[in-house]
Amino acid sequence: MISIKGLRQGLLVVFDESPWLSQLRELESKLNANSHFFKGGQIALDVKTLLLTADELQRAQTLLQQYDVTLWAVLSQNESTNETAHKLGFSDTLSGPPTQFAGEGEEHEQDGTAGGNAITEGTDGLLVRRRVRSGQVLRHPGHIVVIGDVNPGAQLIAGGDIIVWGKLQGVAHAGALGDSGAMICALELTPSLIKIADAARGSVNGRLSDGHRRSRSRKPEMARLEQEEINIVAWQEK
Amino acid sequence: MQAVVVTITSGKGGVGKTTCTANVGCALAVLQKKVAVVDGDIGLRNLDIVMGLENRIVYDSVDFIEGRCRLRQALIRDKRAPELYLLPTAQTRDKSAISTAQMVQLCDELRKEFDYIVIDSPAGIEQGFHTCLAPADKVLIVTNPEVSSVRDADRVIGLVESQEKGPAQLIINRLVTARVKKQEMLSMEDIVEVLSTDVIGVVPEDEMILMSTNRGQPVALNGKGPAASAFHHIARRLIGEDVPLQVQQSNTSLFQRLFGRG
Ligand SMILES: Nc1ncnc2c1ncn2[C@@H]1O[C@H](COP(=O)(O)OP(=O)(O)O)[C@@H](O)[C@H]1O
Ligand SMILES: [Mg+2]
Repeated sequence: MISIKGLRQGLLVVFDESPWLSQLRELESKLNANSHFFKGGQIALDVKTLLLTADELQRAQTLLQQYDVTLWAVLSQNESTNETAHKLGFSDTLSGPPTQFAGEGEEHEQDGTAGGNAITEGTDGLLVRRRVRSGQVLRHPGHIVVIGDVNPGAQLIAGGDIIVWGKLQGVAHAGALGDSGAMICALELTPSLIKIADAARGSVNGRLSDGHRRSRSRKPEMARLEQEEINIVAWQEK
Repeated sequence: MQAVVVTITSGKGGVGKTTCTANVGCALAVLQKKVAVVDGDIGLRNLDIVMGLENRIVYDSVDFIEGRCRLRQALIRDKRAPELYLLPTAQTRDKSAISTAQMVQLCDELRKEFDYIVIDSPAGIEQGFHTCLAPADKVLIVTNPEVSSVRDADRVIGLVESQEKGPAQLIINRLVTARVKKQEMLSMEDIVEVLSTDVIGVVPEDEMILMSTNRGQPVALNGKGPAASAFHHIARRLIGEDVPLQVQQSNTSLFQRLFGRG
């Protein structure tokens, strides 16, 4: 069984010791079933002790590319696999975030230290204490919690729930791995687009998607899926 | 001497980076600082035109990088201020002509000689932006008071933070107070609400800019008009003076003619 974890640098796919091809097939079915969760993301592979050839690694890269996912690092406890991955230009550690993505607006979180902000990572959730700006993408298989505003043009994509302690503008996708019970809460819920599992709803609360209009003061709200439609209710009503 | 490197950039093109670089550079020079303005927009050079120094270019920064001249030979002395120099760039080369490491090295060499180095950077979405960001001690982001420009500025602020070059400061350029009052244009407060970034200056729309650009006479050199005074305020804030932010009436007789009042 492969498993998927959320890291500051993107997603980490952890393999086990079973044959490479069967694991790749499993990865493919995960990518296939959750294509909008993965689309545009960057992935690191933890291949444990598997001995892999350049051909086998490139096959994984090609597979990921088909789903618009970039492979940037390969972690391995096998000397020869390590060497091969290195030759192909993959990073062999997660410590240095992939600099080639620095211009691309993908979330790296080295900015977390720059602003003196703390970010806690784990498989259950991603906690971000700062403003998420236009072009930045937070992606996590678990929940995403942002303490700060999410600006127009930013994107949050969570396998679980999304909670924004601030004003949520931009795009938020909860339950992006298929969980239709996921929800989105914000102190001010004014995104240009929200999605829960496969349902979508645009320009929430009748606001222009640009989000630059001076806002009236709003109450905390939450969005949930009910009968395949996204409903928004004031916080206290539950 | 150990210069402060100020990189001026934006989210997208055409918002006034070159205008701001020339004028902030001139305003610093008027304050008796030794200043080099550096054109970082390789292949699209126009800082020399705005400065009115186009005809004096013999060597440029790419000539220096490729060993065809010394740095001193590429620097053009602007006699209109006590100590103001322009380092022009090549017109016929692409952004790859100067690498990030070479730009850092070039600035390190300049640092010894100057108080301020002001770099006219390409916009954040363009190639060459990271080259101009790398040597920066301070980053100024130019935005116009309109939604798309602010959105792109937000993106660049994020990039600057992720390169640990933050916190950037903001120049709001081409503001027309009358249009803000009529709610046709974003106010400074609207912009700060989205960007939560410190504003170092608000430059009003000023028709003197167009004339001064055409004549190669930056407004900050003769000191007249609302934009000129805004640039002087920015320069004084840069050198650490505590100058209160004021949003000046724009000088837009054209606007007044078109919209009835200014
Ligand atoms: N404050 C201003 N008032 C009026 N016109 C301006 C102002 N700032 C810039 N402009 C004009 O806007 C245009 C673009 O400016 P420029 O500095 O070349 O932008 P950039 O370097 O960002 O592409 C020029 O024609 C310039 O004269
Ligand atoms: Mg320019």
